This record gives sequence, C-alpha cells and structure tokens, in this order.
Amino acid sequence: MTDHQIWKQLLSAYFDDELSPEEKDTVNNHLIDCPACQKYLKELQSLSLNVKALKNEPLSPDLEQRLNNLNRTRTEGSTMQKTNFMNFLKTATPVVVVLFLAIFSIQMYSKRAMQARVRDASQYTPTQTLALGTTKQYQPYYESSNYSGRLRSAADDIGTQYNAGHTNIKKEMRAKEAAVDSMGVYAFQLKQLAEKETRAHSNMPSSVVVNGSAAMFASRTKSDENKVNWKDTATINYQRENYALKLQRGMINPAEKDYDSKTRSADEGYLQSQGYGIDKYPYAPIQIHESNTEQYDLINENEFLQVTENPLSTFSIDVDTASYANVRRFLNNTQMPPRDAVRIEEMINYFKYNYATPSWNQPFSINLEHGICPWNPAHQLVLVGLQGKELSARQTPISNLVFLIDVSGSMNSADKLPLLKESMKLMVQQLRPEERVSLVVYAGNAGLVLDSTPAHNKGLIMAAIDNLQAGGSTAGGQGIELAYAIAKKNFIHNGNNRVILATDGDFNVGVSSDSALVQMIEEKRKDNIFLTVLGFGTGNYQDGKMEKLANKGNGNYFYIDSINEGKKVLVDELGSTLIAIAKDVKIQIEFNPNAVKAYRLIGYENRKLAKEDFNDDTKDAGELGAGHTVTALYEIVPAGSWESTGGNVDPLKYQKQTSIKSSFTINKEMMTVKLRYKEPKSNTSKLITKILTQPTNTTNQRWFGASDNLQFASAVAEFGMLLRDSKFKANSSYTAIIQRAQMSAYTDPQNHKAEFISLVQKAASLDQRQPQSQVFQDPHQNYPVPTQGEGGYNQK
Amino acid sequence: MPALEGIFTRYKKPVFNFALRFLANRAEAEDVASDVFFAVMSGKYHYTPKAKFSTWLFTVTRNACISRIRNSKKFFSLWFKSEEGDDQQMQLPDHNTLPAPDELIKKEQSVFIERALAHLPLGQREAIILKEFQDMSYEEIAKVLNCSLSNVKILIFRGRENLRREIKTSGLEELR
Repeated sequence: MTDHQIWKQLLSAYFDDELSPEEKDTVNNHLIDCPACQKYLKELQSLSLNVKALKNEPLSPDLEQRLNNLNRTRTEGSTMQKTNFMNFLKTATPVVVVLFLAIFSIQMYSKRAMQARVRDASQYTPTQTLALGTTKQYQPYYESSNYSGRLRSAADDIGTQYNAGHTNIKKEMRAKEAAVDSMGVYAFQLKQLAEKETRAHSNMPSSVVVNGSAAMFASRTKSDENKVNWKDTATINYQRENYALKLQRGMINPAEKDYDSKTRSADEGYLQSQGYGIDKYPYAPIQIHESNTEQYDLINENEFLQVTENPLSTFSIDVDTASYANVRRFLNNTQMPPRDAVRIEEMINYFKYNYATPSWNQPFSINLEHGICPWNPAHQLVLVGLQGKELSARQTPISNLVFLIDVSGSMNSADKLPLLKESMKLMVQQLRPEERVSLVVYAGNAGLVLDSTPAHNKGLIMAAIDNLQAGGSTAGGQGIELAYAIAKKNFIHNGNNRVILATDGDFNVGVSSDSALVQMIEEKRKDNIFLTVLGFGTGNYQDGKMEKLANKGNGNYFYIDSINEGKKVLVDELGSTLIAIAKDVKIQIEFNPNAVKAYRLIGYENRKLAKEDFNDDTKDAGELGAGHTVTALYEIVPAGSWESTGGNVDPLKYQKQTSIKSSFTINKEMMTVKLRYKEPKSNTSKLITKILTQPTNTTNQRWFGASDNLQFASAVAEFGMLLRDSKFKANSSYTAIIQRAQMSAYTDPQNHKAEFISLVQKAASLDQRQPQSQVFQDPHQNYPVPTQGEGGYNQK
Repeated sequence: MPALEGIFTRYKKPVFNFALRFLANRAEAEDVASDVFFAVMSGKYHYTPKAKFSTWLFTVTRNACISRIRNSKKFFSLWFKSEEGDDQQMQLPDHNTLPAPDELIKKEQSVFIERALAHLPLGQREAIILKEFQDMSYEEIAKVLNCSLSNVKILIFRGRENLRREIKTSGLEELR
C-alpha cells in the first residue's frame, strides 16, 4: 500500500515532467504493466484540465481604473518627482544626522585618546622582566587588562563603532540615493526585463516534429511535449485540451505558420467534439485589453444629413432614463463613464420639462422651439417636445403587476436585491386595494413566490418581499415565460398589465440566447402585456441587453442606483412609468430645404426608423406614459451656410437635382413635424401634424431669447456629448454647461438640477481627454469659425 | 513608458487572480493587486535579476496576501458575524430534477472545483495555483514559496489528492 503511495507521488511529479531521466524511465516501465497507475494518471489529467478550465476572473472596472491611474501618474512623472523628493528627504535626514554624529565623535575620540595615552604612559611600570629571546608585543591601550570596562569611555565606543563602519554606511546611502534619484535607471531595468520576457514568450511555441500518425500541435510548447512521455490517444487529447486552455488564457501565442491544415482540422475536430468553441480559439488573437464585463452596445453617433438627399428624419420616442442614472453612478465613483454607456436622449429625458398641457382630445401636446446652437454659433438648435397627459387618480387603470426578480447569487449585494426590496415596499404602500401583485423569482429554476394577490392584503405581499433571498445561478428565459403566463392568467381588462423585470442583467445561463429572448418578448407583446426593466448593480452590468429587452417588450428601462432613484421610478412616477397612454409613438420630420441645409438628430441612435416605417402600423416603436415628457434636439445647419455638410460626392450625371418647391407660404416654414401614435388598446395609428415656422425677427437668434426648457435641455445634451467625447462637440465646455444650467430658470421639485450641476463639476475634474478651453477645430468642417471665447453665444 | 505598460497589461490579470484564489475575497484581492503594482511602480522592492520577473512578482504578491491575512486576523468584529461563509455556499443542483443544459453543468462543476480549491490548506493551494494557472516549474514554485524542491513535490501531490478526494465524495465523479 505504501508502495503504491510512492508510485502516486512519483506519478504526480511525472505528470508535471519534473523527474530525472532515470526516474522517468522507471515510471514509464511501471506504467506499461500497471493499469491502476494508468488510471491514476488519467485522473490527474482530467483533474488538471478541470482546474485549468476555471475562468480567469476579469478585473472589475474599479480596479482597472485604479491601475490605470497608477500607470498614468507614473507616466506623467509629476508624482514621481514628488516621491523622488520625499525619498530624498527620507534618506537624506539620517545621512546628515550620522555625519554630524561621526564628526562629533571623531573629535571626542581623538581628544580622549590623547588624554588616555598620556595617562597610560605615566602609569606604566614594567612589572615583568623579559625573558631572553622573547619579545613582548606592544599591546594597545584599550586591550590592556587595566583598561577594561571601567576605563573605557563612551566616546571610545562610539569612535570604534563608527570608525569601522563609517565608509560603508556612507557608500550604501550614496548608492541608494543614486538609485532613487535616477528612477530612469530602474525603469530601464524593468524595461529590459519586460523585453526579455516578451522574447521568451514569442519563442515559446517552437515547432517540434512528432513521429507517428498522431496529430499533434506543431506549435505546442516544448514543455508540453515533454510533459508526459507515455503516449496514447488520451495523452494526446490531454495535450490538445491543455493547449486550447492555455491559448484561451493568453499564456501562449499561436505560431500559425508552423501549423499545417491537416493537423489543424484533426485538432479542431477533436476540440469541437469536446465542446470547445472553435470559432473563438485556438486561433483567435489574444485579447489583452479586456476592460470589464459590463456590456454596452456600441453607439454610432448620428451624422449631419443633407436635406436635399434626406429630407425626412424618422425615429421612435424613448422615455427611458437609465443611462443618466448609470452615468451618475460612474461619476459618483469618480470614474468617467464608458462612452457607450452615455445615451444622450436618455439623459435629456431624465428631466421633466415644462411643456404645454395637452388639449382634451389628444393624449399629448407637441412643443417646438428654435434657437442658436450654443456649442457652435453657426448652427441652430430645434427642440421637439412631447408632453403626455396627466391622469387623475380616478382615471388611472387598475394595475396587474408581476414582478420578475433575479435572485441569482450575483444579486446578493447591498445595491441590488436589498435595494429592490426597499423600493418595492415603498411602492406597495401606494397601491390601491384592488390592484394586484405577484412575485416570480428566477435563479437556477424559475418559481412563483407569491401568486397574484390583491393589494388590500399588503401584509402578505410585504412578507413575501421580505423573504426574498439571493443564491443560485441565473436562467432568465424560463422566468420570463412564467411571469408572462401569470400576467395573462390574471389579466385585467382595460387595466395596466405589466411584467416588471428586476435584474443585474446576467441572463446567460441556460436556454436564452439574446435573440431568442427578444423574439419571445416580441411575441408576448401582442397580448397587451407591457414590460418594465429595472437594472441594478455594478461590475457585471449588461446594459445593452436590458435596453434591447425593454425596447422590444413595449416597455421602458430604468437603472436604479439608490433608494432615491427607486422611489422616483416606482413611487413618484408610478403613474407615468406604469401606465401607457399611447403606444408606438413615432416622429417623422420633414425639413424645408429653403430653410435648412443639413440636420443632425442628437441621440436616439438606436431608435432610428426607416422612412417607410412611419406609416407602417406593424412596426413597433416607443410608448408614452402618463405625464411623461419626451424631448429630442436637432442641430441644424441653416440654408445659405457655406459649410459643406454632405461629404464629398460628385454631382449626379443622369438625374436632375430634385426640384425644390418654393412659394411665399412655404418659404416661411422651417419644418413639418408628423407624429403617429396608437391608443394603448388600438392597433391602428392616428396622425398629428405641426409646423415650425422660421423665426422672423433677429431677437430669436440670440440665445437669451430661448426658453428655459431649451436652455436646460441643450446643457444636458452638451454634457452628454462631452462625456461621449463626441466629434460634434465643437466648443462645448463644462464651464459653459454649468453657466447655462444655472442661468435657466428650469426648476423641479426633486432638485435634479442641482444634482446635475454637481455631476458636471465632477466630470470636469475627472475628464482628462481634452483641455478646458479649446479653439474650435472640427475636422469635418473645412472652414474656421470665428470663436468669441468660451460660451460666445451669450456675449453681446 | 511602454515597458511598464507591458508589465501592467501582462501581469495585472494573473496577479489579481492569484490574489483572488489565495484570499477568496474579491475586495481584498483588488486591494492586494493594486498594492503590489504600486509597490513595484514606486520601487518599494527592488527587483534583482536573480530569478524570472514573474517569479519575483508572484513572490511579492504572495507576501502581500499573507500580510493581508495577518492584518485581517488582528481585527474582527464582535457585533457583526461574518457572512462570507453563507454567501459562498452555492446550492448544488439536485441530480434527479430536470436535465440541465450542458453549459449549466459545466458551470456548476467549475463552481464546485473552485470551492474545493478554496478549501485546501494554504500551502497546497498556493502550489496548485502556481502550477496549474501560472504553469511554473517546481523550481520556480520553490522560490516563490521559499521552500525546498521536495517540499513542493509533496505539496502538489497532497493538494491533488485532496482535490480528488473532495470531488469523489461529492458525487461529481464523472467530470467531463
């Protein structure tokens, strides 16, 4: 038995190729005869693979930021000088003290030594007569017997001590100082090192010719080849998998030139059968810059469009506000948000503007306004604002709410499930007795926690909320299915039937691929059940997916980062968030080429529609809740501008330029806004049209003529463009934003304006991308705009 | 300074993950990782080219982890019980319920192995991590752990035995 133990121990080392050649031979020989040991070796292989298969945890964005900061301060060198100086002080102080002491003690020593010698000489009496032929060596005074302890002075001690080590200490100090002073040398050392390491890495995959028909990785590393000598298919497969895993973790570079197609296909076949996604690796380039696992969909900003070529601009409304709350979370953590986390339309729509109340027969009012573009005085800005009708308590339909709550392990932190529970409790307090709540949770499995319960039974609902606990993994697909089924079962006619999904977005276990999930939700939409998505948490936040879900499910999407935001979404805006007064609201704007040369829609990148979609009632679009305001901004290049906006396209040879209608009445108009919407229950759309006339007098051209709405909305848009580092930001600046936000008399009861201003200030101190006052030089425009200093619009 | 940047990009993930597996606590691991890089950047420890740079860096990381554990043991709260133990308890699935998709099984397995790894005694855990994740030779491991070669051999062997035993007893025998 103990014998076997020793074999096992040997096998473990054999497996790692750490045995001497003789030992290896013995093991090889033993292996041929011993099936038990063969089995053990195989177990070792599978164990090692399984351990290796553990994923490398990605760095959290927070840590990434911290390391980047370290790196940045290092490269800037400003702090380096400071630390240099501090280090110098630290080392210099003891040196000075030591020198001082040394000089002092040398003086004392020489003085005392003199005195002692004089004294010794006077006391010396020869007590022994010298034998013939022997010599007596002179004994130094301090080693003589009568110069012990009592007589030795402290100064002597100091003297010997420092005399002996003196030069060494000094040398050391000097060397250290030099090292600290010339950090460059140290960095150089590190650099050499890094280069050496890289060289070693790139050389690693050396081609090794393997005999036999077995397909081997030509580029497999030497150490891998040697790892196990005892060859069978299992071993080869082990090496394949090991290689794939190593590639996946970025430990080796695939040297593809050594890798012929035949062995590659054999290896691929095997790895695929083992469930390795071949499309990802082993041939994928190694990803070095993995930022974090929060996922944001790429946003390609809208460009300027020529009116003669694209007279129509069509988009769906968006009442989501999640992006603003998410940006706020980043800024409050002293980080700049990632570019694609900033959706400008959601930032603008976070704020409520004071628009005209809608007339009795329409669910909302349309507000149009026009002013100078503050970040580029050569352009103009047009605001399109919708104000949804407020419903009185009696009018509000009865709610049938199904909460679908992610209780996976990832929800188990203070800013996720506990925050949700608190917010939900606040909401339940507000519900009317006949309204219904049910709770569905999903983690490993989906389950019904609370069947549909009328809100007069608040205690029961509260208790169920209290009992929610996080743990397990996530499978979003089944949960959604169940939630919709329950919503349908308890469907309230003419009511507000809604599934509220609360998650941190980690959906990816189990059935649900993104597209399958979206497809399912699109199907459920036809039952008149709406979807609201509440996003929570940090670190692994799947922004893109959640927004997509809400878009498809006739829903809206919020990000909840604090109990205040929870209260805003679930309690204060309960009416507007949860009750749709119009659905599939689409806006189409026709610009008049007599007044407008080119235009750009700010934000709404993922809400754009094709121009045919506007009149197509089967096309889905955003919905408007009671009391909601929706705001869109257009940046406009006026007709007659000498700016080239259309890019470099040659004039058409076979077609005439489309003729432009012109008459006295038409010329006065700037654009026509058309709006289509459906009543919440209806399937046919209604059309509203409104015309914006050109401003007649010049006072309108001045910025201070603009309303508070336009001023504040433009400030928010400008902020978004700066955060996105947009190429259209022109001479936007944080100071101008703050000025304008303070100037506008925009007010709101929750004081979001003050919060906005403080966020801008935070961003200004964090943003290192651009200097604050930048002369306007847009690469897309080939003429210089005369700048009037910062915020030139409000001079004069 | 591209060379330093290279060090950052190359080693930030391994260092962080080493600390994470060592401490089994994300926040602490993050602190350790940034401490280590700060120390390296500011030249707190001087690298002398006696060993490979990675070996040296892991030694620094390991020491940082150990001192972190020591410090955390000095203070403990009398009022708040540490909830970590409960948090980490993953619910292992019942095998007789619905057949879960392959991906799910794989995930459960990896969670399980991760936990088994975290339960290993410190020395064995370190050795296994350095061997399997960083692919170091026994010699390098011996340098990092500051022990003899034969000791490393035994640590790794025992670590593997323990892992094997834990996996066997859990019924997750059929791995992959």
